[in-house]
Amino acid sequence: ATASTSSSVAAARAAVRLVDWEITGKVVSERGEALPGVTVLLKGGSVGATTDANGNFALRVPETAGTLIFSYIGSVTKEVSFSGAGAINVTLSDDAKALQEVVVVGYGTMKKSSVTAAVAKIENKILDQVPAGRPETALVGRLAGVNIAQTRSTPGAAPLIRIRGAGSIDAGNDPLVVIDGFPGGSLGQINMNDVESIEVLKDASSAAIYGSRAAGGVIIVTTKKGQTGKPKLNFNTYYGVSKPMLHDDWVTGEEYYNYVVKYQNREFAWAGGDPSIPVWGDPRRPAQYQVNPIIKEEPQTIWQDEVLQRAPIQSYNFSVSGGTDAVKYYVSATHNGEEGIVKTASYKFYGVRANVDVKVNKIINMGFLLNPSYAKRRDAGSLMVSLVKYPPFVAPRNPDGTYPKARDYWGQNVTSQANPNGILNGTFNTSSALNNVGEAYLSLELLKGLNFRTSVGTNISSGSSDYFQASFATNSGSTSGSASDYRTINLLNENTLNYNRTFKDIHEVSGLLGASYQQSTSRSTSLAAVPGSFNNDIIHTLNNAIINPAGTSSYREGWGLVSYFSRLHYAFKEKYLLSGSLRADGSSRFAPDNKWGYFPSASVGWRVSQEGFMQDIPAVSELKLRGSYGATGNFNIGNFSYLGGITSVNYSPNNVFAKGMAQTSFGNDKLKWEKTNSYDFGVELGLFQNRINMVLDFYDKTTTDQLYNVAIPAITGFTGTLSNIGEIRNKGVELELNTKNLTGDFKWSTFFNVSRNRNEVVSLGGLQERTVTDTYGMSWLLRVGEPMFSYYGYRTIGVLQNAEEVKNSPVLAGSKPGNPKYQDVNGDNKIDPQDRVILGNFQPKLFLGMSNDFAWKNFDLNITMQASLGAKMYTFENQSYQGNVLGAMRRSLVETQWWSPAEPGDGKMPAAALSQLNFQGASDIYIENASFLSVRNLNLGYTLPVGIAEKFRMNSLRVYTSINNLLMVTDKNFHGYNPEGYTAGEIGGVNSMPGYNANGSEPINRVFTVGLNVSF
Amino acid sequence: CHQELLEPNPESLLTTANFFNSAKDMDQAVLGVYSRMQARKPGDYLLLEVPTDNLYLSSNTSVAGAPELDVLAPTSANPLLNNFWISNYNIIFRANSVLNNIDKPTDYKAAQKDQFIGEAKFMRALTYFDLVRVFGGVPKVTVPLTRIDESRQVPRNSEEEIYNLIIEDLKDAIDKLPVQTSIARGRASKAAAVALLGKVYVYRKDWPNAKTYLEQLFRDFNYSLVPNFANLWKLTTEDNSEVIFALKYVEGTNGHGLSTDFIPNAGAPGVVDRGAEVALPSWSLHKKYEEGDTRKAATITEMWRAPNRPNDPLVWLPFVSKYAVPHTYGASGLDLPVLRLADMILLYAETLYELNQPDQALAQLNKVRERAFGDAAHNYSLADIPNRDAFIDKLLLERQLEFAYENERWFDLMRTSRYTTVMTAEERIYNNTTKTPLVVSLAPKAFHKYLPIPLPQIDQAAPNVLAQNEGY
Repeated sequence: ATASTSSSVAAARAAVRLVDWEITGKVVSERGEALPGVTVLLKGGSVGATTDANGNFALRVPETAGTLIFSYIGSVTKEVSFSGAGAINVTLSDDAKALQEVVVVGYGTMKKSSVTAAVAKIENKILDQVPAGRPETALVGRLAGVNIAQTRSTPGAAPLIRIRGAGSIDAGNDPLVVIDGFPGGSLGQINMNDVESIEVLKDASSAAIYGSRAAGGVIIVTTKKGQTGKPKLNFNTYYGVSKPMLHDDWVTGEEYYNYVVKYQNREFAWAGGDPSIPVWGDPRRPAQYQVNPIIKEEPQTIWQDEVLQRAPIQSYNFSVSGGTDAVKYYVSATHNGEEGIVKTASYKFYGVRANVDVKVNKIINMGFLLNPSYAKRRDAGSLMVSLVKYPPFVAPRNPDGTYPKARDYWGQNVTSQANPNGILNGTFNTSSALNNVGEAYLSLELLKGLNFRTSVGTNISSGSSDYFQASFATNSGSTSGSASDYRTINLLNENTLNYNRTFKDIHEVSGLLGASYQQSTSRSTSLAAVPGSFNNDIIHTLNNAIINPAGTSSYREGWGLVSYFSRLHYAFKEKYLLSGSLRADGSSRFAPDNKWGYFPSASVGWRVSQEGFMQDIPAVSELKLRGSYGATGNFNIGNFSYLGGITSVNYSPNNVFAKGMAQTSFGNDKLKWEKTNSYDFGVELGLFQNRINMVLDFYDKTTTDQLYNVAIPAITGFTGTLSNIGEIRNKGVELELNTKNLTGDFKWSTFFNVSRNRNEVVSLGGLQERTVTDTYGMSWLLRVGEPMFSYYGYRTIGVLQNAEEVKNSPVLAGSKPGNPKYQDVNGDNKIDPQDRVILGNFQPKLFLGMSNDFAWKNFDLNITMQASLGAKMYTFENQSYQGNVLGAMRRSLVETQWWSPAEPGDGKMPAAALSQLNFQGASDIYIENASFLSVRNLNLGYTLPVGIAEKFRMNSLRVYTSINNLLMVTDKNFHGYNPEGYTAGEIGGVNSMPGYNANGSEPINRVFTVGLNVSF
Repeated sequence: CHQELLEPNPESLLTTANFFNSAKDMDQAVLGVYSRMQARKPGDYLLLEVPTDNLYLSSNTSVAGAPELDVLAPTSANPLLNNFWISNYNIIFRANSVLNNIDKPTDYKAAQKDQFIGEAKFMRALTYFDLVRVFGGVPKVTVPLTRIDESRQVPRNSEEEIYNLIIEDLKDAIDKLPVQTSIARGRASKAAAVALLGKVYVYRKDWPNAKTYLEQLFRDFNYSLVPNFANLWKLTTEDNSEVIFALKYVEGTNGHGLSTDFIPNAGAPGVVDRGAEVALPSWSLHKKYEEGDTRKAATITEMWRAPNRPNDPLVWLPFVSKYAVPHTYGASGLDLPVLRLADMILLYAETLYELNQPDQALAQLNKVRERAFGDAAHNYSLADIPNRDAFIDKLLLERQLEFAYENERWFDLMRTSRYTTVMTAEERIYNNTTKTPLVVSLAPKAFHKYLPIPLPQIDQAAPNVLAQNEGY
């Protein structure tokens, strides 16, 4: 590589005026590895360069002898003098003092070696070259203990992030997102291109500094800043196509007709009829049990294929950065866009990010950042089920452009739903969001090591949603519409005093004192049209309709948070580490006497590898033991929840619409903080000069005083009220393994992680269990000693084959032949709610991630895999494809059914008729194994050699191709489109039904892209 | 600074701390009571008509909890029962809140305070009447329960105690409520309280008191049967001389789903373009309408065609059309009567018979029949009712035909102990070509007289506090 570089450099030199000296070279570590990203600076000048992926650099200096400074994190900075053009090859030695990698922690940074908490760090090397609508997607599989689930495949949809399990029933389990120090951001506001690194504070000792909101863990995003040197222009783009992964067992034609006949005969027999009567044209058979033979004729549309499409995805990002010793800047602009695999859905993002840091003098630093962004989306008019279960005998569209309905073919017996194409093309569900994050700061270095920083930040967001449904998009044939707007202004003032000194090279002390004030105010309005009142389908705004007073309102609310915090860190000889912090938070959301909460933490670390006796074991390059305790809180409940709210309700005396008032929440003037106490014990081990790195963590966290909408007797007039009852525990272990398997010309490194979390209900405030039951009987159980929200229902032991068996078996009251046969658990010879058992849980028992990086010459390849084991899904969606309203059917879901005593199916799948859901909904029939193994991303890149890039006046150029979801392996009996795709949400209150896939989550996409990353 | 951040003003939220301060607040709180009843009422048929011989569930739709009731298999886990319990105690809570705070405002106009007390007590009585008829004795709650631990300790009261509360409330309501002309339609008037008390005494089989109050109703208030039964179920004539108390709805903005629930899936011409087709009329009822009974056409429509296919031939598809006014899907503006004069007349007939005045009883029964047929030709004579059983049969038949789908059938079967004999089989679908019905055999149990206390409510209460009904 060196030879070719030299010759191309020589060629480049010939092409330019020889007023400068051209200096090229390669930087390697003391082990001979090429070092990318080394800063090369001309001493006393403004010229600089950075080494490329192969450690090569090239820069042009004035024709004067001078010195180049080579600096690199973790290495000793080296100065090399020169007196003419030519090659300078440099070997940087490791910084013997420490592994100088720095991690960002709350309100500051810390040397990685000094950290006594469980903090995971991901640097953005090529993550912005992984095609993903949002930053989270690129992190899947790369963090131990962090489960990122893509529950919905709609454009721009936010995945669900759970750090070390869910601990709160009602107050939310999302992590706190801190973007450049601003707590309470959204990952949807930023773009991976602008991200420098992402740190995840997993244990409470690190998160406790964010006190009140950190119970779900903290994700700290640090964005890119300008570097001293000449301006650097970077352009990153990719373009690709998403291809949905589909079902291939839809039945059509004769086969479909035969199943419809079976379905109708079964219903007819239950109603007391004789199924041997011909199915069509025989007056002895009532119309509702007949089957029109027209349904086996053309067109036999497979609606799945009709409503889904291959959809383009694209991204463009420009950034310019640079600076001098005094002023540094970074400015970028981004546009992302993707279309939905469900037709008509789309997402577009536009963002600008700018930050400037100014060193006014030795004492004063100041700067600001601005990050406006705009996102616009259109959601598909329906969830999957209504789109794909439409009967096959309906044409996609009439020749005249209108949309035929199932009823146009065969009267009353089939679904009255509108044509799925009509639903999609006639439903306009659009929303947009405008966000602006801004911050200005001033920092003063008061004394050596003592720094004061004050900042004022804002996060202003506003948005609007518009909805219109044309008459042809609904079965009622009437229009509907609504519009809503919101605006939220979030103001933050933070003041910190940081002290950081090392005394006599052995006492390292750092301290932090801070005060933070945050206020959020928001205003929202919504308007709705009287159903059917739009004058036509042409104008979609509400000036074309009559406003419905019952759906029209405006609302203002707000919250405030006052915080004081401190942290002290001490290290002795970089061997014994000690840390402690305390935060006090006052929140407007709690009752007057309980507004303040206190969140302490303490942690210790011992770097065993620094001890003298360890020097005899050279294989061990790093060994650290650490232990921590910390408390975090949760205030994610509604504003004013402690008050009993009175809201308006409708009535119409004398036929005049009127608003009455009624108390609609119980109120609780004792409401206080939910708290999570957690312990963590970790081992960090580096072997063979850190070629093998391992981090092992055990944790145990308990969330007490749950802000939990506890069910109460309905005789109070309410079914639940928010209170501080209950205790949830999450215990687990996680392992990260980083290995450099090959370090020669062909490089291979592996990052592997595995996490296990055990969730357990410890207490429900004196009660042993609580259930929430869905309409068709499936219950979600909170029971002491069991994981939260386990499925709770009947265990099937077969199908009731005939009247005889119904009579002689313990059955659910009202059962008939074809209904499931349940296990009589308590042996009392009847099936009733006492016979329900736990049928599984939506939470995975184990999840794994593995990322392999390969590099050979200028090629690089990354393969990221993810696996999740042990989760169960309630795929109630299946019943929609079993004959319900004589819609589309899937072979794997109909061929196993009980159709009659003569056609008993596989003996496991009961008569899955719409009319029988009450008899089978509460069972394990639709509980499926949602474990999976997937190759989430494969990314292959080629970086142009420096010399060639130079010829085109480029610093570097990488072209890449990427495939998302290259492989997805699920259980062979799993029927859903997405093993993480539950549509009823995750844990969000005591009435949650997590793991419930009722309406069909969108299919997972395989995304093929090509991209280009170039910098000048 | 702390105060500004930590104690923001709840700008858009009324709270228990700043409400109930004026007569206007109380007026709105009273409307809140009706609002909740108004939300419950349209779904009552799932609990009170589906398990009778009036209605059966369509196989095109599925409503959780209803299929079990359709085959007379009520269980404590049935979600419809739990919802019924929750709704009713929510109405009671709202009524109790009115009564509890009634003394706070000082700006009442003359008689306004009495009116609010009367309305709250009437609504509380009406709600307990529904609860006690469905479940038997239930917890008697007359003040807002503010402590959760105490609410877990409230047991069931006896049926007697609940009825005593109902009677006490209604007597007070009669004293305090204004007459219909002084109060908006859709709110309770003095006559409504009188009528309801008369009905309550019939359920108590307290015939002398029933007679007193029913006669007071006929004497003091100016109600009369509308000549045309069908006019009871039209938007233009929903306010009429027969309705004593109805819940009022406005299409679109404050409508109900009952009109839609009985319409075939593909809609009905001139009514709605799409129906919910939850349930269809059973032949057991359908066949009982005699030739000439105008109630048949006003209750069931036999022949159907899809609204979007006006050239198709009409087909035999009987559906319940009592509430089939033109409406927006799920948001019908047709009022739902709670108390109407025909009910009072038939209850009076029953009362008179039980007081040994069969000829007087017959006269009352025939009033309703005459209105139905438009003449006296179908009137019963004393010869038709040789004994009490015969009279009760005729009376029950008349009530079934008159009040089909008005949620009277279940209670009528239960209070006359006819349930276990009538409900052993139900003729549901009728094949009009072969002239044969499909018959479904059922197994009614005497213990169904009281439906089970919902399991979630038993679980919410402290152990052994809320006893289950016998048989479940």
